[in-house]
Amino acid sequence: MRGIVYLARAYLATALRERITLFWFLVFPLFVLALFSAIFANVGQTTSLTFDIAVVNLDRGSAGRVDFAASVASTFRELSQPGASGSEPLFKLHEPAAGGGDTEATLASEIDALKVGKRDAVVEIPAGFSDALLKAAEASTGSALPAEIRVHTSGGRTSSDMALGIIEQVLVRVDRHILTQLGLFDGARVVVVGRQEVGSENRALGYVDFLLPGVVLMGFLTAGLFSVPGTILFGRERRILRGYWVTPLDVPRFLAGFSLGHLALCALQFVCVWVLGRFAFGAHVNLFQPLPMLYLVLSVATFLALGFLVAALARTPNAGMAIANIVNMPIMFLGGLFFPTGSVPPALRVIMMADPVTYLADGLRASVGVNTASFPAAVSLGIPCAWIVGCAIVASLRLKWDVGR
Amino acid sequence: MEPAALMKVSNLIKHYGDVHAVDDVSFSVPKAEVFTLLGPNGAGKTTTLEILEGIREADSGSIEIFGQQLRHIDRATKERIGVLLQEGNFEPYLKVREVLRLFASFFRSARSPDEMLREVSLEEKAGALVKNLSGGQKQRLAIGVALINDPELVFLDEPTTGLDPQARRNIWSIVSGLTASGKTIILTTHYMEEAETLSQMVCIMDHGKVIAKGSPRELTARLGQETIVDFVAAEDSTLPETLASCCTIVRGEGGLVSVKTNDLAATLGRLLDWSRASCTPLAEMAVRQPNLEDVFLSLTGRRLRT
Repeated sequence: MRGIVYLARAYLATALRERITLFWFLVFPLFVLALFSAIFANVGQTTSLTFDIAVVNLDRGSAGRVDFAASVASTFRELSQPGASGSEPLFKLHEPAAGGGDTEATLASEIDALKVGKRDAVVEIPAGFSDALLKAAEASTGSALPAEIRVHTSGGRTSSDMALGIIEQVLVRVDRHILTQLGLFDGARVVVVGRQEVGSENRALGYVDFLLPGVVLMGFLTAGLFSVPGTILFGRERRILRGYWVTPLDVPRFLAGFSLGHLALCALQFVCVWVLGRFAFGAHVNLFQPLPMLYLVLSVATFLALGFLVAALARTPNAGMAIANIVNMPIMFLGGLFFPTGSVPPALRVIMMADPVTYLADGLRASVGVNTASFPAAVSLGIPCAWIVGCAIVASLRLKWDVGR
Repeated sequence: MEPAALMKVSNLIKHYGDVHAVDDVSFSVPKAEVFTLLGPNGAGKTTTLEILEGIREADSGSIEIFGQQLRHIDRATKERIGVLLQEGNFEPYLKVREVLRLFASFFRSARSPDEMLREVSLEEKAGALVKNLSGGQKQRLAIGVALINDPELVFLDEPTTGLDPQARRNIWSIVSGLTASGKTIILTTHYMEEAETLSQMVCIMDHGKVIAKGSPRELTARLGQETIVDFVAAEDSTLPETLASCCTIVRGEGGLVSVKTNDLAATLGRLLDWSRASCTPLAEMAVRQPNLEDVFLSLTGRRLRT
């Protein structure tokens, strides 16, 4: 155990003293964060034009009259169908299972999903909506009436803001339709849209909140892809590793020490990037929670494994650096670390779907509520794990730990 | 009575394709002595040592170390040996004390880094980065690392190659101190002088085989009472026939001529006559007793450093 800790300390000390490593590990991620934050501060982070919304109908309808709430829900259902030309629908609608009526618990559950980025908005049709609407409509025309549909959004999240704007337009149409149905249409609004923000602190998340997790992952990726093959291949060529093999130190303990040192370095890198993002650029995203932390540790492990794969495929340090460079760019940009990947051409989508960065970035951002998860958590966690296993198998078969062995 | 052997190597063989890197090598290493594998580059010294250190595996043969017959050098054995690798290196951005501390952490029991720093005279460089050390300092650090676990058996693979004479003598002084403290050392070198100065036992290797074994004195005694006259002459110069009839003449690189003789006075007279008559100066002439280089020369017809 002592050897593992000292190896980790040696790894950390070496990385922090070597200027070029220090640049790529710490300065470069901070530079990217600063540059992109400054340039793209006002860019939205919507990843798709289909919005994940839930419609929760708590109304039981108006006895013997038209069920206006069901009519509203039905409108959203129609808009969640693909267009005649096969175009993507406006909404991906989440509704309770057939036969089960909506309850306050359903609403609470959907609002929780909104908070963690799984929904862009939740449309709540409150109990008594139909009665209130009918009563108000019959009492007076031409004046604003108190019947209300509440739209819950995640404050500051661009996709949520955009969803609200579209829902408002939909409700204007619904409003006119209902009034026309009642023969009361005169241009006055009856259905009132009320916006209610949710989220842990009703924070205003911006591009920097989208960017920060991406830059953290970029730092981990660079560290894994370049530092691991660099240390192993240079260590092998310069016979530094051989010096270890003539002692009681074995490969598993070396790997444990190496990985611990790498994890510590990535933790340091993460803290530096987070401090800059938080205090210099006003990021609000909270990565210090169990699920985001799980994604961060999984990212370090995945990129460490990729680094071992590169070391296993390369015969010399120069070849290792060349392979790392070739691999780095596509998986970094196609993984959506800096920009949304919704507009990636279909040909490149294949690479994107095989890229572990895609799942890690998506899962990490969804876990902190920056965007809506594009994949179930099992996929976002499972595919990087599969990469780790695959890389470990190839590395264990091909990686040479000493010159000529 | 023969000293007890700490290590016995029997019929060690290692092939790389058609190349016989180690070809049926056998020897035993006496306890608390310096045992030297001497030979030119490519003789098989380092491969033999790497097998004994556990870096490579032999194709066949047996190794007995610390009284145990081993197929591979296991972890328990590694706890008791120290190794200075040929062309070994350390992380350039670690400090000297950190390197010693790191290696100490690999062993169950180890000496303190500060004690080692004193032993290899690197106290002043304790906080220096490895990359800023001179060649001699790096090699002293490597010796410190090899000794950090207070080993009973120390492997030193060409410890002075590439060092200046002063640094080489520093290393010799450390090695001499080790034998005085009862450690057994297996040394490889292609420096004849180093082998003669440090070793109690020498094993001369060439083309993967052991061609002679014994103490330096025993090996040179095999050449009889011959005296050697070395000088430098033009490579195309013709030596007198009278000399060739009574002496053994070997011509080496750079015009070096070595004349082995049992009758020094007569040989010197003939050489001086020839020098005067042919106007050939006997540059850098020296008269000396045979050494291990001459033993190697007599066994192989080649010099060690060719």
